[in-house]
Amino acid sequence: MAKKRGRGVAACWYGIARTATVDRAGAWAEIDDGGTAKIVTGVTEIGEGILTVLAQIAAQELGVRPQDVTIGDNDTARSPEAAHAGATRQTYMIGNAVALASRQARAALVDVLAKHWSVDNQSIKTAAGEAWAEGTNHKMPMSDAVHLAKARGVVPVGSASFGTDTTGLDPVDGSGRPWQAYVFGCQVAEVEVDTLTGEVQVLGIWAVHDVGRAVNPRGVEGQIEGGIVQALGQGLMEDYRTVNGHATTPNLAKYILPTSLDVPHVTSVILEDPDPLGPLGVKGIGEPAMIPTIPAVMNAIYDAVGVRITSLPATPEKVLEGIIARTAKRNINRVAAE
Amino acid sequence: MPDLRIEATINGRKIARNAKPHLRLLDFLRDDLGHTGTKEGCGAGECGTCSVFVDGVLLKSCLVPAAKAQGTRIETVEGLAKAGELSVLQQAFHKAGASQCGYCIPGMVMAATAALRANPFADREEIKERLGGNICRCTGYQKIFDAVELARDVQNGRRPASALAEEDAADGAFIGVNVRRLDAPSKVSGALKYAGDMVMPHMLHMAVLRSPHAHARIVSIDTSEAEAMDGVEGVITAADVPGVDGFGVFVHDQPIMARGKVRYVGEQVAAVASEDPLIARRALSKIKVVYEPLPAVFDAHEAMKAGAAVLHDYAPDNIVKHIPIRVGDVAKGFAESDLIVEETYSTQQVEHAYLEPEAGLAYVDADGVVTILSPSQNITHHRHMLSRIIAQPINKVRFIMSPVGGGFGGKEDMVYQGMLALMAMKTRRPVRVVFTREESIITTAKRHPSHTTYKMGLTRDGRIKAVEIKMISDGGAYGMSTEGVMRKAAILAAGPYAIPNVKVDTYGIYTNNTPSGAFRSFGALQTQFATETHLDICAEKLGLDPFEIRRVNAMRDGASTHTKQALKSVSLTRALDAAEKAARWEPGVPNMRGATRGDLNGEGTRPSCTLGARLAAAASPKTSEVA
Repeated sequence: MAKKRGRGVAACWYGIARTATVDRAGAWAEIDDGGTAKIVTGVTEIGEGILTVLAQIAAQELGVRPQDVTIGDNDTARSPEAAHAGATRQTYMIGNAVALASRQARAALVDVLAKHWSVDNQSIKTAAGEAWAEGTNHKMPMSDAVHLAKARGVVPVGSASFGTDTTGLDPVDGSGRPWQAYVFGCQVAEVEVDTLTGEVQVLGIWAVHDVGRAVNPRGVEGQIEGGIVQALGQGLMEDYRTVNGHATTPNLAKYILPTSLDVPHVTSVILEDPDPLGPLGVKGIGEPAMIPTIPAVMNAIYDAVGVRITSLPATPEKVLEGIIARTAKRNINRVAAE
Repeated sequence: MPDLRIEATINGRKIARNAKPHLRLLDFLRDDLGHTGTKEGCGAGECGTCSVFVDGVLLKSCLVPAAKAQGTRIETVEGLAKAGELSVLQQAFHKAGASQCGYCIPGMVMAATAALRANPFADREEIKERLGGNICRCTGYQKIFDAVELARDVQNGRRPASALAEEDAADGAFIGVNVRRLDAPSKVSGALKYAGDMVMPHMLHMAVLRSPHAHARIVSIDTSEAEAMDGVEGVITAADVPGVDGFGVFVHDQPIMARGKVRYVGEQVAAVASEDPLIARRALSKIKVVYEPLPAVFDAHEAMKAGAAVLHDYAPDNIVKHIPIRVGDVAKGFAESDLIVEETYSTQQVEHAYLEPEAGLAYVDADGVVTILSPSQNITHHRHMLSRIIAQPINKVRFIMSPVGGGFGGKEDMVYQGMLALMAMKTRRPVRVVFTREESIITTAKRHPSHTTYKMGLTRDGRIKAVEIKMISDGGAYGMSTEGVMRKAAILAAGPYAIPNVKVDTYGIYTNNTPSGAFRSFGALQTQFATETHLDICAEKLGLDPFEIRRVNAMRDGASTHTKQALKSVSLTRALDAAEKAARWEPGVPNMRGATRGDLNGEGTRPSCTLGARLAAAASPKTSEVA
């Protein structure tokens, strides 16, 4: 048969946030007029969905709805430092900073409400745009609660910083605490290899990743699916080439990327092993999602056709060369045996 | 040539405009009419971000001369729904979570609209085929297919319109809930402005002169002819840097523009600004640079040898960074092993290929604050570096992060923001630069290629006694993130396994190749590719199931890492169990048993793709009639 299938597995681990240095992020929060909220922090989407994640965190912590939250622009002159958008750090570092700042802003509002209703601070609950005192009939929309606070001379604001307890590496043996949160994962790949052309199609990936706590499960899936396809690009086709320093793949006609026809079905399984150190238990997913894909696919190619790819990418030419070499070797053995 | 006169209907409104004859339809729509929802991704018809309908036909507007618009009816993403509303398909993209960075999304929405217009009942495989001309670098496409199927079903009445509506989240609990992305409506409608979509009054366009040599001394740069050209408002070179030049994520070894010598092909040497981008580009050819070529080195192993060309005086051995990790005694571990397996692994240089090429806008504000707006992934660090480079206090430097049309680590380097700042300071006008796809590919950082020698010793029961890993990586001409990449590669190299004896060395090396830098998963991808492939080889030799060999060695709660850090909770064995179960894995030794497996082709796989099968199937009834 010209097409052969196989499966392979690979695991991974990854550290969350900046490596072997102290990481930190700051955030400001305000419960605003009309029961809305403002979160200001040095963060902007790079596509992963962090703005929505932060709005969810702020909404839950403050007691408003995500659509009520405005996230201020990332601007070194207008917002507190939250450092860079990378290192699988945004949900972990900035998410935790926003949670802490939101708790402080909420505490200012709760003080006012507790006095107003003559109840304990602990009995005040806020959720989805309403505030109430548990075990009483006292209840009001957040818009009224903010109005009340302002009438008492209080603007409910908070600010917080979240930092890591990490160290550099020893220059001789590398010992140290590079991260305070680690994630683990495992993927299985199923491939089909065309033995006439060497072309590999990845038909399915089952991806399990620990994210600590998923703030937005669909967003986590999006990161896993996107990471896997990016890894497939490197695994099977992408190859930036230079000759004497001159790029020979300087455009998207020469530099080949995965399209809608190249992608497998991805089944994501989200594992939650909460981070014990941060206030939310969240960790991250952006980078680790792509790590097991390539070895899982290469191991699956071996399972299918017995060709061990140790040099990326596994182009059709390379796979076919491996198949031909195997066949030739088998024939030689057969002749030798005869 | 005289201007063109273009009369057309665009999104239902008649327009009559004069336009420059060299414009593409894309430029006419974006620059002349302000329809910036139509994006430029490659300028060559490869990526689909600029897709529009011309007389009902989906076209890539970067390939269409503006003159062709005459007398046509054009629809752009802005015209798919009434102002302030979203089409069913746009709502479905929002609902399904089909947008991430959003830069490809307007084009993807157009292509999906075309697909459902062509066949309102298209199945998933046909949808995939019809979206084949549009590249998305973020989503992995799966949620895009989900969105198109949802829109199809709503349009056909198979699913109610309420399937598009908000129904997530309740009871005030929003963490752990699929809240729809708050930024999605701006992305699916094309309303979101990326840096290259933004304009300011009196704005100049900047073009960059780049090195044609991989390694050369700059003998002289003469900009006088360019500066004298009509329409040129400013020319800058390294001589315009007022402070301490140099940027980089770990070592500040790269000048804003080449200083004294060039170290790779495409390195920036000078820049020109003009109100007319065409004049800026033409002026580049008037800058006279005299180069004296130097010996160059293009291979990391060669660069480590004595006598190799040296790129940076501070690193006479061409080593950017070496990271060692040591645990126990590997010689002892190998001596105790029943099986020793050695192999070499290599990975290639890879481009991020975010759909949004680099772009930025800079100005000096009324208070003298040098302000740079760009899709930078690290404005905090850029602010520090630029303040030194332009010799201004930190609070006179302001970085604003614009929406990022894909980053993946590739937008962490301050490769063009310094030039923008200098040009804005010199001209006292807003200045914008937008890279072409070619500039983006040949001048910005790549994923580090790697060459890894690997040795692992195991006992018969699969326990790893020792690993020795050495990775040599080509960092290219400048340091960028190489140091950090080598560090992460080394720390995570041996995988999440409890191994008593570990020796890892990673080396990042300077060469005259395109620089390597930060790329999603940052060195860990390279080393763990080697480890996870190696384990498969070892499992076969030992007759173990690949899950089993990993379980035998897995770090568990309380494990000590290879940097001797005590871990609290380790979820690895749970991940292994869950993957085995989800994939319905049939246990066995990885000895090419694909042909005999019983777990193939089940739930979670897609059909094998045979291009054109749909067309062949459509044609086949006729064939059978003839037969």
